[in-house]
Amino acid sequence: MRKGYLCIVLHSHLPYVRHPEHEDFLEEDWLYEAITETYLPLLSVFEKLVEDKIDFRITMSMTPTLISMLCDPLLQERYLKHINRLIELSHKEIERTAWQPQFQKLAIMYLNNFCKAREIFERYKRNIVTAFKNLQDMGKIEIVTCGATHGFFPLMDASKESVRAQIRVAAGHYESVFGRKPRGIWLPECGFAPGHDEFLKEAGIRYFFTDTHGVLHGTPRPKYGVFAPVYCKGTGVACFGRDLESSKQVWSSVEGYPGDYNYREFYRDIGFDLEFDYIKPYIHPDGVRISTGVKYYRITGTSDEKQPYEPEWARERAADHAGNFMFNREKQVEYLYDLLQKKPIIVSPYDTELYGHWWYEGPMWLDFLFRKMAFDQKTVGLITPSEYLAENPRNQVITPSMSSWGWKGYNEMWLQGSNDWIYRHLHIASERMTELVRGFPHAEGMLKRALNQALRELLLAQSSDWAFIMGTGTHTSYAIRRTKDHLIRFTRLYEDIKSNVLDMEWLVDIEYKDNIFPELDYRAHQ
Amino acid sequence: MAMLRRVKDKIKKIIKEKKRPAVGQRKPAEKRRAPRAAANKKNPPQAETVTKKEFIGTQEITVERAKFSYPGSMKVARPLPQELPGAYGKDKMVLNVRDPWWLYTFWEVSKGTFERVKQALKDAFHSAKKTLRVYDVTNVNFNGSNANRYFDIDIHHEATSWYIDTGGPNRSWCVDYGLKLSNGEFVTILRSNIVHTPSDGPSHITDEEWMIPDEMFGRLYGMGFGFGQSSPVGKAWQERMKRALFSGVLASPGITSAASPVKKRLPKDRNFWFVLDCELIVYGATEPNASVTVQGKPIKLRPDGTFTMRFALPDGKQVIPCKAVSFDQVEERAITPTVSRDTKREEKMLKEFTKGAV
Repeated sequence: MRKGYLCIVLHSHLPYVRHPEHEDFLEEDWLYEAITETYLPLLSVFEKLVEDKIDFRITMSMTPTLISMLCDPLLQERYLKHINRLIELSHKEIERTAWQPQFQKLAIMYLNNFCKAREIFERYKRNIVTAFKNLQDMGKIEIVTCGATHGFFPLMDASKESVRAQIRVAAGHYESVFGRKPRGIWLPECGFAPGHDEFLKEAGIRYFFTDTHGVLHGTPRPKYGVFAPVYCKGTGVACFGRDLESSKQVWSSVEGYPGDYNYREFYRDIGFDLEFDYIKPYIHPDGVRISTGVKYYRITGTSDEKQPYEPEWARERAADHAGNFMFNREKQVEYLYDLLQKKPIIVSPYDTELYGHWWYEGPMWLDFLFRKMAFDQKTVGLITPSEYLAENPRNQVITPSMSSWGWKGYNEMWLQGSNDWIYRHLHIASERMTELVRGFPHAEGMLKRALNQALRELLLAQSSDWAFIMGTGTHTSYAIRRTKDHLIRFTRLYEDIKSNVLDMEWLVDIEYKDNIFPELDYRAHQ
Repeated sequence: MAMLRRVKDKIKKIIKEKKRPAVGQRKPAEKRRAPRAAANKKNPPQAETVTKKEFIGTQEITVERAKFSYPGSMKVARPLPQELPGAYGKDKMVLNVRDPWWLYTFWEVSKGTFERVKQALKDAFHSAKKTLRVYDVTNVNFNGSNANRYFDIDIHHEATSWYIDTGGPNRSWCVDYGLKLSNGEFVTILRSNIVHTPSDGPSHITDEEWMIPDEMFGRLYGMGFGFGQSSPVGKAWQERMKRALFSGVLASPGITSAASPVKKRLPKDRNFWFVLDCELIVYGATEPNASVTVQGKPIKLRPDGTFTMRFALPDGKQVIPCKAVSFDQVEERAITPTVSRDTKREEKMLKEFTKGAV
């Protein structure tokens, strides 16, 4: 008998790293790696489940920046080049490892992976968003939206117009891509501040997620803890809290599954390991060594001596771990059902890019989990938040607490010595954008284009990724440059618009560089 | 003549610089700018401080460009600043929440406002101390004088931002930036927005309609954090904070490719390491239309009949029979190199460090 539900949420996001002005841009590789190692392997798992008639549910956020890049013809073209290069490399690798069968079989595995990736990519005419849309239309996955550029809302609280713009632009973009309004949202970095539910309601969004303490520290106390959604006081937007136990089993670097010694080692990549002249065509043209995605070792243990990866052993472990995860959810659900006298929902959110990119066996683990849940037990069902709300419309009303899923649970990851300088500029830009919207409520033609571009630049400057990277303290120059460039472009636009002198040539240039959200309306910012 | 060349070189250099993409220049990480006023002062708006050299270059380009006339080329190109303005000439104070205990505020006082305050205070100005006054305005419709309580923070003379330890979760806060005079009087220059810090534990409010026994909530609370059924309320949270069980710790896997892979390999104390491997290159040439096999496998020749094979070379002996057959199958040549590799690894050695050793 069904005693409760598991709601797996995958948050898929990359910042907008499209650089038409440069043929080889290091940061664009983030996208290509994620496509090859995460999005396409997941798609292939989902497609196979559908083909095998195995019922499953998964909730996925796809951020507007990610969707925009996946739909972009230039980046699609570049991805195809990228994957073709990898295929060429794996052919060479098969030859090179002729006397090392333990590595050669892995080179063959990668060749198959890359060919399969290219096959799926081309089958969807290079636009894999279509594939996810199909799965949503089939009712298997529920795609939720996110902030337009993944701005961190709790630190935009003093510029609420920007929070509204992030949500409005995202909801509009979602509708243009998926042909219906978004039902839910993954708040960027899971960052919630009381009151922002108002903007969700405006955009027709019915639910969002918070970290565990967002619900548990809400007022008044939530009767069912994080195991049932709550409605926000005043707006009625539903809020689902994260279950930490299930999260920990996958996330934790110490106890989590991905640390198993039989799993593939992320840090050993032939891009770093092999002889320079040989690998040079497959790393950055400047000669900077980067990951290629071809990795031959298993985690092995804590020392630096690594043993070759054995796919069969890893597969066995992924099956074991899926079984273990399922068993734990069954026990958890049984216990909660007795305690609450109602069917609990266990919400387990993860970064999508954890699966496949970081944890190579992640997609396989999900596949095992869904198959096992379909055949080996009846206690726990898979569900989406919409389905749970339809089944359980009556919920407690509280005000969730400010929270995020970042370091220490609040705003510090994005607000510390290394990145706090940005907020002064972001705040002014936001104020100026509001001023422009008020000053020009019905702009047309050139002026409208300039106003729209101003909002684009502001939104791009707001991506939480820049502050995050500055916060980690390594490779910060790109993040700093992006923050400054978008703010400088915004400032120039603001000054030009205010003084009624528009520089058409320059506007066209930045429209070409920062081309996100072609349908955007600057009036979203108010 | 030399003069002319120098000018030309200069222009070339400037054009080159202009061509460089604005974004993502792969220069060594630029020095991070301190957010404090001191640093800001050193970086006045760049638009106004175009250096002489840049000015010359701009002129030359403009003149040269005029030769290639297009409709759009009549306009003078305006260089885009590379840095953000140090100040915006506005009176502004913004307060943000960092976590249940800490706030962050930044502010700017326009020159005009500052001068007015200076003039109004006359001599008292010089002995006045820049101060933040932090008001607890929980459940108060704040009018400047009805706060529950307040405390003052002496701040650095040139500060334009500050982290404030309130020690007060679940409270409302407002901050004034101002001057404390020698007679103790506080003069407000700026006032922030009001913010509310989140609670650091479960709410004490349990609404009547949904009354819930504490004991049961305690168990749920523990479970919420994944620490079994008996975790006392609060302890689970502390535990989580301690173990930093938040996603940010793992970093976003989406950007892990940016992390150095070498890091993980390093032993704990000293960073020294050494790896070595061998590869073997087998290469040759024959008639371009011949067919060649290496170790029995056919290989592809370049158009000029040459070929190169590259093998990772493990320890042991490799016999590599290579055979070329003419296109008409009449002639055949076979060459078989044998290669062996034997790697010795000596014990790791740690010599004693002696002064004077290079």
